[in-house]
Amino acid sequence: MIAALAAILQSATPLIYVALGGMIAARAGIWNLGLEGLMIAGACASVVGVTQSGSIAVGLAVAVVVCALGSALLWFVIEKLRANPVIAGLGLSGLGLGGTDLAVQAIYGNEASVHAPLALPRLGPAAGDFAGCSMLVVAMPFVVAFLWVLLRRTRFGLRLSACGEHPFAARSVGVDPARMRLIALVIGGVLCALGGAELALGRLQIFSVGMTAGRGYMAFAAVSFGAMNPIGSALAAAFFAVVEYLGIKGQLAFGNAAPPELILSLPYLATVLGVWLSSRIRGSAATISELREY
Amino acid sequence: MTALACEGVTVTYGDVVALRDVSVGFDRARIHAVVGQNGAGKTTFARVCAGIVRPSGGRLTIGDEAVPVGSVRASRRSGVELVHQSFALPPSFTVAEALEFGSIERTAPVYSRRALERRWADHLASLDVPARLGDRIRDLPVETQQAVEIARALVSDARVLILDEPTAVLAPPAIERLFARLRRLQQSGVTVLVILHKIREVLAVAETVTVLRAGSLVERLLPAAGMRPADLAHAIVGTTGATDDGVTPSIHAAAESTARAALELAGASTRATPEGPALADVTLRVGCGEIVGIAGVEGNGQRTLVNALAALAPLESGRMTLAGKDVTRAPLLDRRARGLRIIPFERNVEGLSLGSALWQNWSARLLVAGRMLRLIDPQRLRSASRNALERWSVRFASVDQPASTLSGGNAQKVILAREIDDDATLIVAAQPTRGLDIAAMAFVWQALRDARARDCGVIVISSDLDELFDISDRIVVLVSGRVAGEFRAPYDLRAIGATMTAAHA
Amino acid sequence: MTSRLLTVGRALAFVAIALLGCAIVFQLAGYPSAGMFGAIVAGAFIAPHAIVHTLRWAMPLFITAVGVLVAFRCGYFNIGAQGQFYFGAIAAAFVADAFGGGPPVFVIPLAIAAGVAGGALWALWPGFLRVRFGTDEVITTLMGNFIAALALLYVASGPLKDASGSGEVAAARPVAAALRIATSSGVSFTLVAIVVVIGVLMWLVVDRTAFGVLGSLAGRNPVMVVWQGARSSRIGLAAFLFSGGLAGLAGALELLGPSGRLLGGFAPTLGFSAILIALVAGLSVPATAVVSIFFGGLAAASLYLPVIAGYPAAAIDIINAAITLLITARAWPSFTRRSRAAA
Repeated sequence: MIAALAAILQSATPLIYVALGGMIAARAGIWNLGLEGLMIAGACASVVGVTQSGSIAVGLAVAVVVCALGSALLWFVIEKLRANPVIAGLGLSGLGLGGTDLAVQAIYGNEASVHAPLALPRLGPAAGDFAGCSMLVVAMPFVVAFLWVLLRRTRFGLRLSACGEHPFAARSVGVDPARMRLIALVIGGVLCALGGAELALGRLQIFSVGMTAGRGYMAFAAVSFGAMNPIGSALAAAFFAVVEYLGIKGQLAFGNAAPPELILSLPYLATVLGVWLSSRIRGSAATISELREY
Repeated sequence: MTALACEGVTVTYGDVVALRDVSVGFDRARIHAVVGQNGAGKTTFARVCAGIVRPSGGRLTIGDEAVPVGSVRASRRSGVELVHQSFALPPSFTVAEALEFGSIERTAPVYSRRALERRWADHLASLDVPARLGDRIRDLPVETQQAVEIARALVSDARVLILDEPTAVLAPPAIERLFARLRRLQQSGVTVLVILHKIREVLAVAETVTVLRAGSLVERLLPAAGMRPADLAHAIVGTTGATDDGVTPSIHAAAESTARAALELAGASTRATPEGPALADVTLRVGCGEIVGIAGVEGNGQRTLVNALAALAPLESGRMTLAGKDVTRAPLLDRRARGLRIIPFERNVEGLSLGSALWQNWSARLLVAGRMLRLIDPQRLRSASRNALERWSVRFASVDQPASTLSGGNAQKVILAREIDDDATLIVAAQPTRGLDIAAMAFVWQALRDARARDCGVIVISSDLDELFDISDRIVVLVSGRVAGEFRAPYDLRAIGATMTAAHA
Repeated sequence: MTSRLLTVGRALAFVAIALLGCAIVFQLAGYPSAGMFGAIVAGAFIAPHAIVHTLRWAMPLFITAVGVLVAFRCGYFNIGAQGQFYFGAIAAAFVADAFGGGPPVFVIPLAIAAGVAGGALWALWPGFLRVRFGTDEVITTLMGNFIAALALLYVASGPLKDASGSGEVAAARPVAAALRIATSSGVSFTLVAIVVVIGVLMWLVVDRTAFGVLGSLAGRNPVMVVWQGARSSRIGLAAFLFSGGLAGLAGALELLGPSGRLLGGFAPTLGFSAILIALVAGLSVPATAVVSIFFGGLAAASLYLPVIAGYPAAAIDIINAAITLLITARAWPSFTRRSRAAA
């Protein structure tokens, strides 16, 4: 049972980081559909960084820089060029997916995947069932708590929320919503970098092209399912991870009775269920595709 | 001593000049009124002073220091605070959070909920705001929200408080309470700039009057004592003629209700929604050739009433009859076929598609009636819309231009052109003149009177009592979704004002 | 007229900027951008049979893009064209398989109809969720793509599995030769005729029916049409059905035409390319036809690049993504602070 929890925790952590990244941007008023591209860029950059430099710190730093720059690019396109956030986000995700593919081929030749010599530091055998949990997994609950305090118990958090909920109110007290959204997106980018790094270096030490398989979009759904709230988004992301875990376990237990594709589609189905539930519970507050009044 | 002065302030949006070379200095610790019609530039002026709008030319001086324009932070640091017409408070915030997020004092970066409430308890009490710190803004009544907004503006020792049309949403007793509050502030040394457009209110509270007309300053700091209403009206409008004090007499329909009814609502009740209170047992009759005005503080069921008439809020009980036919269960399309026409509250959201062409906006009603996949001829619709818009004096260049390019008055005329046709039997006009200048207002009222002359029934909903007094044959007061009273001309402001606030605790 | 030209000009300008950005990226990645773009142009138009390849991709792209266009015009972000395309192919494949020996003159239209239905149904469920519950269609249609890709894998390696196949790639049984409407070159009279007819029909629907104008009004302001008495649920469902049906039609035509059989992971970027085409074309049917040729060329090039020219096919994906990123931009960045209009 504890072992199951540990396994779920590990597989949920990348999704949770990315969901937190999406959450903080959504609070500030930008629904970031580029999470998929940022996550895979973070995964690729961290592996490339580690492979080229031999240091985890460098790998993480490279991932953070790449994702921060990607987020800033999205901010520029949405805020300064007034592009549609949904389409621009999809474009960023496409850039991430294609860009990582190109990067791998450019650096490593015609490989589809890259092995990293190191993994993230882990808790080690002393932690029993949690031995395999990396430092990012351990840090995750603290990050959730920190973000909660930041958003609900600081003036900065109030101003950030005002930018998303009532931008004119924010402007009338002297806050610049555009600048706040940049800050939120960059923080979100850093979180996506951590999520991507955990995905690639947390357990398997490998980057393969397209390895995110839609997790970034699931994280996006977790944000609205979790009511744009740090704890809610984390729990929603964990829920999707639980579904995936149960599917795989069920497959093994029942001896491939169900086609593998059905099992693989469970997380996506759970995501649909999640957004449907959240629209039922919350009535439909402005849907993502309806643009906010700036 | 001058508390706030501006020199040569000019604001242009593209081709439109919102403010032209405005120069005026306001004395300290006085209540100054800035008046003008809708569209005269009052809100723009207020926002320039507060730093929200950056003028293309001009200087701002607060106290004795020059202050950079276009910076909210600079204006706030110098002590200028603005209370907006439609409140700038995030609805999900608690009162304590609303006060906190606007504060610019240095405090500890993190707080607990209790510490936050302690921090603001005194401030709220000192201003006599009837709300708890833990209440959420969206749960507060309109007058309290405004009080919280004022409290937020006063959080950081404001020296100049600007209020943009604060009386628009208040009933007469609440207006008096507001003015009393402003006098207290003035006595404690705060300079108050209040933007108003009603002459009666100006003369009640202001010490000086400054008049804007079409973006230019036409009168500067006139002493309010001893001013005659007609003179002020003349300054605001620029010509003698119809003013917003209802000086022009209007013709009211015969006192007896006509035999035929355009609308009969009997015992109508609906469910409460986030938009407003439920209708409770509303009985309303509008005769053919009669204009019925619905008075009431905003948020007392007017929107629910319009939604119920438009079949967007189902009737839980009661009946609705339109031109003699029972339409209680009929959808909006059938009601429109029966002659229901609506000029909605939110011109730009409910009435027009701003991004779409004028001809499409005008043709919408015709397109909806009929099968969806039927072939249409866009050219014919274009020329029909061109004719209609010209007949209604809309200023436009091409029927293909998007509705967003029209001014408020012209946009409203497009809606009128679409809604007021020969087949109309009941016209529901919800705040039809909000945001319009005097000329456009007069146009709208005349259109409604013409419809009445064609035996149409008209319902007018407005929070402007003067307008209602002028146009209505009968006035019905709505409070909390109930009919609280019915009045006939001549109308008594005190009596109606009292009825409007009677049910409040 | 001038505002139309401005919009087109702006779109082209941003496409050019996107291409410039890609050129820089390719250069930095160590691929000479001149060579890269040269290879793309060659693969699209110059190499032997390039024009045929370009047309072969332009046709399904055009049909799918028109479907996307209908939904977008009505204000619904149906980004599930890929999944709806797949389900159209799957439905047509089942019919073609079940009636393999039957008379083509009956089976082919039946298979095509099944494809339209398959795609329409796969768009119906997110449409229903949106219209009935307000569930945002962005996520649901996106998830639908992933689920459909898995369904395709399942069908191609399961019920319709090609017993004689190598088993490396999920490939289904081929469609009976008599039921094919085009060879693997992808261009045949039947296909072109169908595409032209659909194009004209959809142009009529979009431009000359009440639904077209009302949908366009609803797309920019759904509240306003409700106040006129329109049932927004009807417009919405119609938009999703048209949209999915067209994508499904493209899938069926692909199956009965150039593909000849279901293949797992087939044409994986067709859906997003269709979305991009609709956006670049400014949601206009005639413009979509023109833009489809451009993107058909890109698709042809994406097969040419790795095979003939030795460049990674990801370059095409990057170009598509860069254009997607910028295509909805509406303003030039203002580097001077201007007075802000009040909200």
